[in-house]
Parts: sequence; structure tokens; C-alpha cells
Amino acid sequence: MDELHGLLTHDKLKQAFRAEAGTVLRYLYFARIADIEGFPDVAQLFRDLAESGICNADGHLDFLKRIGDPDTDLPIGETDQNLIAAISSTTREQTELYPLLAQTAANEGLLDIANWFETMTKTKKAHEEKLKKSLAQVNLALRNEMELGSAPDGVGRG
Amino acid sequence: MKTNTSGPSAPRRSDTQYDASSITILSGLEAVRQNPGMYIGSTDQAGLHQLVYELVDNAIDESHAGFCSHISVVLDKDGSCSVEDDGRGIPVDIHPSEGCPACEVVLTKLHAGGKFKQHSYQYTAGIHGVGLSCLNALSDSLLLEVWRDGWRYRQTYACGRVTGPLTKVGETDKRGTRITFRPDPRIFDENLSFSYETLARRLQELSFLHPGVHISFDDQRSGKMEEFQYDSGIPGFIQHLNRAATVLHPQPVAIHIHQPGLDVEIAMQWTAGYGENISSYVNSINTVYGGTHVSGLKTALTRAVNRYAAESGLLHAENGEKISTFDILEGLTCVLSVQMAAPSFEGQTKTRVTNRELKTIIDDAVDRELLRILRADSRLAAQVVTRALDATRARLAARRASERVRIQSVDTLVSKEVYQKQFGIRSKNWHQSAVWIANDDLLAEHVKHLGHDHYPKMLDVCCGSGVVGASFKGKVGTMFGLDITPEMIQLSRTRLDHVSQGTVYELPFKDNAFDLVVNREVLHLLPNPERPVSEIFRVLRPGGQFIVGQILPFGPEDAAWMYRVFKKKQPLIFNMFQEDDFRELLLGAGFVDLKMSEYNLWESIDVWIDTHETTTLHRHEIRELFHHAPQEVREVHPFEILPSGEIRDLWRWCVFSVRKPA
Repeated sequence: MDELHGLLTHDKLKQAFRAEAGTVLRYLYFARIADIEGFPDVAQLFRDLAESGICNADGHLDFLKRIGDPDTDLPIGETDQNLIAAISSTTREQTELYPLLAQTAANEGLLDIANWFETMTKTKKAHEEKLKKSLAQVNLALRNEMELGSAPDGVGRG
Repeated sequence: MKTNTSGPSAPRRSDTQYDASSITILSGLEAVRQNPGMYIGSTDQAGLHQLVYELVDNAIDESHAGFCSHISVVLDKDGSCSVEDDGRGIPVDIHPSEGCPACEVVLTKLHAGGKFKQHSYQYTAGIHGVGLSCLNALSDSLLLEVWRDGWRYRQTYACGRVTGPLTKVGETDKRGTRITFRPDPRIFDENLSFSYETLARRLQELSFLHPGVHISFDDQRSGKMEEFQYDSGIPGFIQHLNRAATVLHPQPVAIHIHQPGLDVEIAMQWTAGYGENISSYVNSINTVYGGTHVSGLKTALTRAVNRYAAESGLLHAENGEKISTFDILEGLTCVLSVQMAAPSFEGQTKTRVTNRELKTIIDDAVDRELLRILRADSRLAAQVVTRALDATRARLAARRASERVRIQSVDTLVSKEVYQKQFGIRSKNWHQSAVWIANDDLLAEHVKHLGHDHYPKMLDVCCGSGVVGASFKGKVGTMFGLDITPEMIQLSRTRLDHVSQGTVYELPFKDNAFDLVVNREVLHLLPNPERPVSEIFRVLRPGGQFIVGQILPFGPEDAAWMYRVFKKKQPLIFNMFQEDDFRELLLGAGFVDLKMSEYNLWESIDVWIDTHETTTLHRHEIRELFHHAPQEVREVHPFEILPSGEIRDLWRWCVFSVRKPA
């Protein structure tokens, strides 16, 4: 078992990952506005910082993947595992998260936002299907290679 | 025989030799056919047009150097295109280091051309020098004809390779170059062909940017022909762009900046529209994504207008009042053309310029000049400033209104005020505000669903101008209409028999009153659309028919993206229905016998978003959403971005027919 397991640092790494991921997306959004408003230097700064933010978030993930996916706690690292984790979070988003958010918005009378969340529910469902199809293909490829007696690229799987 | 004539208003000549020694070689050509997108942007229709532009740009460069006054573009029936100019002719003498004719070097070696040595051309579009050799590499046949030094020369090529030596085919007193090429169908899809409209628009644009140059365009496939020659230059270009608009001042504001190695021409005119239309060019290349030159212009406009507004007492700057860039750009049509020696661009298709010095130079000069013009012409100044202040006020009022709407929607799910606002704003130029509104084929798609009832009594609900109902004329009995706004009621009375005022949430009609109800593109705007649908069900007689048209996403892949586009255009949108949602909405109300047909219609976004419902930021964001549409969206949702920057979107119209059970 990894030394990170059960420690507060694991939680902190998850927090750091979420914060950094949020930073990247906010900066890319801000960059577009800066471009529109005629501040290309500011736009470039936001883009450069977002690029660093991706590198930072990747760094957090490098540690986190020793335990598992920060979103689902499922093991991640190799492509089939990553696909399973991605499918799991997409399933949760489309069956629990977004329907609940849509209900909340509707309860508060924000019907346009409720419809936005409903749209997300369907988008996520479509994503889930794509990911599942891709997983089936990866599994098939892995099985074929196993039968041939070697793992992809000759790398051992453990 | 040698002639020395040049265009009547052609600029001064570069006084140096243009011969084989002017051609510099940088590298080979192998990769182009393998990776054409890297050199011409793409291998779709835009890439095809790029080939023509490379040739025309070369001719324009030759005219700028003072040697060419006529350019002729011909599209042949066999899919080939030829571009001819009356310039000096590509050099044909033996290249000193290559040992073959210079024209052969230019056509077969990547990064070869007369533009790598600064003295051959002062300003040039084709600075990367990949143009001619790329074009050659991507053509399955190419014929070069040169008229130079009293002789006519000819050479043939295929797929970038020489297929015969350069031959002298006779004497001539003509001068110039003609290249006839056929795009290789192994590179470009065979179904692709040159678009007359796109090329004509670009050639017209070039002739405005280069007054005095005469461009003829002959499409032998269709027999269409056009000649372009404008002496009015950039201000004339503005007047052409604004020909259908209501302008605030008759003469465009013109600003010129001349410096060694830099010529900038700017013309601006404000209109009563809402869109911002800045077309920018660097050495004739349309910089669709702007860049430092456009940034400099925007900064200067904001500063100059604010300074003038403050010093003339129109604005209370001391209280922190400020007119934003957005408000100044609202309704502005502007053409900004830069000619410079060493432009640097982002990407091979050169759509954004990055030279930092441009921003400062344009910013300083425009600020100074515009302030001088505004101070000298108080009438013009008042119009420009009042226009911008009005925009500021409208923007603040719109924000307050949407805040009010948000608060109220918590109290009552069906706010009459929302509904009033939704439809109370559509009277002005209604039919010009989008292509779809009065499109005959789309209207016919609705009529197609009409059942075999004998002259049914019809209600067009939320009828707007009444076009949908009126399209059923002759096939239905009495045509009733319903709308909420007095302007629309007045308008639709010219098309329908009886129009009442009222809301679709409480139709002012008895149960079972109609045989047919029609409606188009309304339900997505309404909170709780179930209620209007059940009202429609109520007023239909048993067995009666409801025909309704609605724009729907192509699938879940583009739904969220379309939601964002539509919401930015129309902040009061409530639903982005997907096909199954809409079916559920109709069947859930008790309707049966559902049939659906699809009609796809191209819509120009630029027209559609030019409305006061949205803001300048949102208009820009809508364009951004198209420019950066996710791959997932592009795979299902067709749209195109033309070289002019205009965006055309394909809208998926779904027309449903249902019946109330008999």
C-alpha cells in the first residue's frame, strides 16, 4: 500500500488538483475576454499561466495516481484503467450529479439553468457511450496482444 | 520588343534589377504533398481558394512595385484556374547557383522567390515564399507562360515537377505572367470546386485595397463575369460595406499614417446597427483574427472619444464616468489596411499579425488624428459620442432588466414581463434580422405537413409578422393569429384574417375552437413550455392538427455548444430542446400521430447576431465559439468561416406534425 494512503496529504493533493484545474479553465476564459477587449498581452499572460497550470495539475496527478483517480478513487495510470475511471465519473455525472443540479435550479425557479444542466446530462451520456466503445476496443487489443504473448510496446503490466 | 507601361496610378517602382540573381533558395519541396495543410491551411475548399490567392497576391505585389495594372482570373470548365498579370514576368534567365531558369527555381523549390531580398519588393503578401512551389506541388498540371524581354516563354509541370524544358515560343510585345493550374484531385476532394462568390468577394476586396488595379474575373463554368476597379480606395470600401446600413454621418472618417517602411490607411463610419465590423489587412492579407494593429486602433478610439467627450462636457469623467470600448465599437464599420516591410504573422494562413511596434504607432497616430478630427467637426463628434453614450445607457439598462427578471422568476414561474420582453422587441426590421424568417423553402416545409382537412380553421400562435400562417394561404379557411405586441399585431394583420392580442399561456379562445394550430421557433423561449403546448391542445378540436417548427441541435454533441451560442444571442432563452425532449413535450401533452421532417438552412451569424438583444462582448463570444468549436461539435454540426471572417451556420430545422386524438 502506498505511503500516501489515508494521510491528510492525499486530501490536500486532491484539493490542489481541483484548484489548479479550476485556475487553468478560468484563465483560458479570461484570456478570450482579454483578446476581445483588445489586451493581447494580458491574453497571452493568461494563456501562459494556464499552460503552467496544466503542468502543475499534472504534477499533482503524478502523486495522486499512486492511490487512484482524484474524482472516483478508482485506480488510474494505464489507458484501460483511465477509461474505466472516466466512465465511472461520467456515469455519476449523468445519473446523479447533473439531474440533482437540474432539480435544484428548477426548485429555485431558474428554469434556463435547469435546462442547461439537463443538456449536460445528455452530453455526459453521449460521452459515456463514446468512452465505453473506446474501452471495448482497448480491451480487445489488449486481449489480442496477450494471446500473442506480449504486452503493448513490450511493457509488462502489473 | 519591350514595353514599359505600368498602371495609371500604380505606386513608385523599386529601382533594382529583378532577375535570376534576385531569387534566393532556402530549401526543398518534398514535404508539401505529404502535408499540404501545413502550407495552405487545409485541403478543403478554403485550401483550394488559398491556391488562387497565392497567385493573385503575387500579382498584387507586382502592382505595388509599380509594374502591373491588370490582373485576370479565369475559372475553366475543366476545373483549372488561370491567373494572369501584366507585370514584369517571372525571370527566365539561368539562376546562378541552380543552373536552371529562375522561373523553374521559383516553381519547384520551397522558400524560393524574389521576396527574401528586401530590395525586390517593398511590401509583399507572399513573404513565406512557399506560394508558387506549393501551388505547383499541389497541382496535377501547371502551365507557366511568361512574356518578357520581347519573347513568349512556356513551360509545363505536374505535381511540382518539370515535365518539359522552358521553351521560347515566339516574339511578343506583351509583358506579364500567366499560370494555369489544375488542383490535384488526389490532394483535394474531387467534389470540391472553386466558389464564384468567395473568390469574387476577395477580388473585389483587393481592388478596393489597391485603387487603380483592374481585376477581371471570368467564370467559364457559369458564364458569369465581373470587373473590379475602384478609385475610391478604403473610404469607398466602407461605403460599399455600409451600402445597406443606416449611417450616422455621410462621409467615412479617414486617417493615414506614413512612415518609412509603413503605410497605414484607416476609414471608419458609424451606423445605426449593433454589430462591430472591423476588417483589417496587412499587405492585403485579411487578418481575420486581428492582431496588434487592431488592438492599437481600439485603444486609440477609446482614449480619443473619451477625451473628447470629457472636454466637451458630454461625459462626467470626474465622477468616474467612462465610455467603454464596446460602446464605441457598437455600429462601427472600419477598414484598416497596413502596408509594411516585415510583418510577422501567426500561422501559415496569416490571420493574426504580431508586430508589437504596430500597436504603439497606430495607437499614437489614431488618438492624435481622431481627436483633431472630432475637435474640428463638432457635428460628427456629437453623433459619435452620443451614439456611444446611448450604447452605454442601453447596456446598463439591459443588465438591470435581466437582474429584475431573474428575481421575479423565483416568485412566479410564468412571468408575464419575461414573455412581454421576449416578444416585445422583435418588431424592428424583423424580416431582415435572420435568413430563416422569410425563407420560402422553410415555410413550405411546414405547409407540407398539412393534412387533408377541408379548409381548416387555422390559428397562428405567437404569429409575429404572420409569415408562417400566411404560407398556408389558399389551403386553409379563416386565418387567425395571436401575438402579444401591438407592433406585431399590426404587421400580421396585413397577412392574416383576424389577429388577437394575448399570451400563449392563456389562449383567449374557447376549447375545440380550431382545426389547425401552427407555430414556429417560439417554445424554446418560454419557461414551462408544457403549459402553452397544453393550451394549444385545448383549443384544437379532437382530431385537429398542430404543426410546429423548431431549431434543434444535431445531437447531444452540439447541444451544450448551441445552448451557449443561443443564450449569448438571446439571454432570455429557456430551453435548448433536443429531438427527444421535443417529442416528449408534444406527446406528453396528449398529442398523437407524430411526424417529423428536417430542413437544413444556412444562416449568416453576422446578420443574426446584429441585434440589441445581445451585447458586443456576447457577439464576440459567439464568433469565438465558432472559431474554437470543439472537435466533437464540428463532427456533427456543419458551419463555415469564410475568408472574410463571415460565419455561416447550418441550422437543423425540425418540423413536427401531431394531432389531438379524435
